[in-house]
Amino acid sequence: MEQAARWPGAGRIFFLFGGVFALAMVLMGSVVFVVVERTVAMRIDADLLHHEGKFLRVPSGRAATSDEVAARIRDWQARKITSERTYSLFAPDGRLVAGRLYLRPQPGLSDVMFLGGGRTWQRGRALAERLRDGSLFVIVQHSETAASLRALLLPLVLATFVAALAAGLGATWLFAHLTARRLAATGATADAIAEAGDLSRRVPMHGLDGMFARQAESLNRMLDRMESLVETQRHFASALAHDLRTPLTRLSTLLTPDITGDEERLRHAIEAGMRECGGIIAIFDALLRLAEIEGGRHGGAMVDLSLDAVVEDVAETMEPVIADAGGTLLRGPMQSAAIHGDPGLITQLLVNLLQNVATHTPAGTCARLSLTRQADDVVLVLADNGPGLPHADRARVLRPFERGAGAADRRGSGLGLSIAQAIVRFHRGRIDLVDTGPGLEVRITFPAVVVV
Amino acid sequence: MRCLVIEDDPVIAGHIVGGLGAAGIEATWAANAAQGLARGREGAFDSVVLDRLLPDGNGIDLLRTWRRHGPVPPVLMLSALGSVKDRIDGLESGADDYLAKPFHMAELVARLNAIARRAPLREGGDVAVRAVGRLRLDPSRHAACFGAASVELNRKLYSLLAHLMLHADRLVTRDMLLEHVWGYSFSPGTNIVESNMSRLRTRLQDLGIDPILTRRGEGYVLLAGACR
Repeated sequence: MEQAARWPGAGRIFFLFGGVFALAMVLMGSVVFVVVERTVAMRIDADLLHHEGKFLRVPSGRAATSDEVAARIRDWQARKITSERTYSLFAPDGRLVAGRLYLRPQPGLSDVMFLGGGRTWQRGRALAERLRDGSLFVIVQHSETAASLRALLLPLVLATFVAALAAGLGATWLFAHLTARRLAATGATADAIAEAGDLSRRVPMHGLDGMFARQAESLNRMLDRMESLVETQRHFASALAHDLRTPLTRLSTLLTPDITGDEERLRHAIEAGMRECGGIIAIFDALLRLAEIEGGRHGGAMVDLSLDAVVEDVAETMEPVIADAGGTLLRGPMQSAAIHGDPGLITQLLVNLLQNVATHTPAGTCARLSLTRQADDVVLVLADNGPGLPHADRARVLRPFERGAGAADRRGSGLGLSIAQAIVRFHRGRIDLVDTGPGLEVRITFPAVVVV
Repeated sequence: MRCLVIEDDPVIAGHIVGGLGAAGIEATWAANAAQGLARGREGAFDSVVLDRLLPDGNGIDLLRTWRRHGPVPPVLMLSALGSVKDRIDGLESGADDYLAKPFHMAELVARLNAIARRAPLREGGDVAVRAVGRLRLDPSRHAACFGAASVELNRKLYSLLAHLMLHADRLVTRDMLLEHVWGYSFSPGTNIVESNMSRLRTRLQDLGIDPILTRRGEGYVLLAGACR
């Protein structure tokens, strides 16, 4: 328990998650950086174009002459003391006509360096346009806000990256830790079962929800099934041993030395001995048959067969058997119905069921076989008005070597209904025992086949 | 009748040879496949009892080799492998009947008699016997007739009587009837044969005859002498 509860480490998945998260953070930081840069640059360019329009067009829409532009620059200089923009106009011969900054970039938008206030080099964005008379109009923008934003951006992105990475790794670690803690309970249960073979253990469900609860549930369902299988096996072995003890004990009692000499008694003893041997062989035959059917190795072929014909055929055979046991077998209603099945197995199924009526119901019992189509199913019902089966016995008698509590004698192999159930399962059908008070109803449902 | 017994276990072989002798069948023993094949090809036998598993090969291969070199008498295959699938394999390999160990001697003799008798009829295909003495079958009405009287039978009782008539005066065991009349490949631990046989007997008594003899623990014989 202590070992299982210990933090087992998240393993490679932790580092993998951390790595992927860090990479995602780097990518995100880069995207933010680039987007901000581009947005600022586009803003500046849009500004430049807007202001160029204001200087190069007169209100009527006509292009301004170089004299008009020069006049506007001087007018603007007179009004503005400080600005992030400066305007210049150069004559075609390169002379500075208006403005203060002597900077002549190529026409169009470009990045430039200039001496701000004649002392420090500053970065700026320039827009130059040649007028019709060959003069060059230049706007240079040095945005303080853009520069400080740029200066701020890199550390900001870096700091965000580091913080997010730490938080992400922390979250991953926490997630891994919580996952491991939930899995530890499952592991502890599995270890306990592996070490002590204790199949009654179950994964504790408290504190689990979502996918962990679902996983624990399915594991517990698997354990339920395994426990019942192991239980069946255990029970099977002891029941088989018990069932063989009875005829073997009788046989050994028969083979006492004092039967020699008397011809009549000897013959009688041999006959009785043969009967006991026959009974033991029958148990093994039935066991082999059960194993064959459950393993799908029964040797028959699956065909589309008309179930009503098989039922009629077996009923005809079994009617004298039931009559000899003091009962009555009736038929009907019988609808014609086809299933996909092995005729030999279906015959055995019906023989086994009718044999139970003959063996385990008192004289005077009336049984009725009927066959009906219900939606996509074929339903075969064998109902009798015998004493029926207590509720507790109904699931039990389908298991090997189990007999109803009322079955005082232990005739038969004790495998008849197990074989019947195996045959029904092999045909993807369902067998239900229903108490009809008084009486028992065996209801078998097969998927129907439409024969064209 | 002469029978070749190919069986490696000396105890079982001795038991079979002795049992066949007691039933009036002259038996020759071969202890392995090679010896069996040699004896079989030199001597004229009416039937063969063949163990499926032999020290120097298996019965199915032996049968195949033998068949390549000439005609093979009717074969009863013996095996400890009793599953339906083993049985089908044995019969498909050309054996005429298949008997799982352990078996009763009476069962073996009855089956051997049945397949040896069937042999000359095999080519003809139609093995139905329509009459034994004055007892006749009328397939058009599914009826049994004795002289002027007749009684209708259901399909199972009709097939049962037909099978008994085919093997008139010979023992037919319960398992043989389950296999050949009912076509059951499983052993129903119930009185199917007994109950149906008693029905058939009652029907025949209605006709005024009682030709079916029960041999306790062995099987049934339809006595031709009782049908005169």
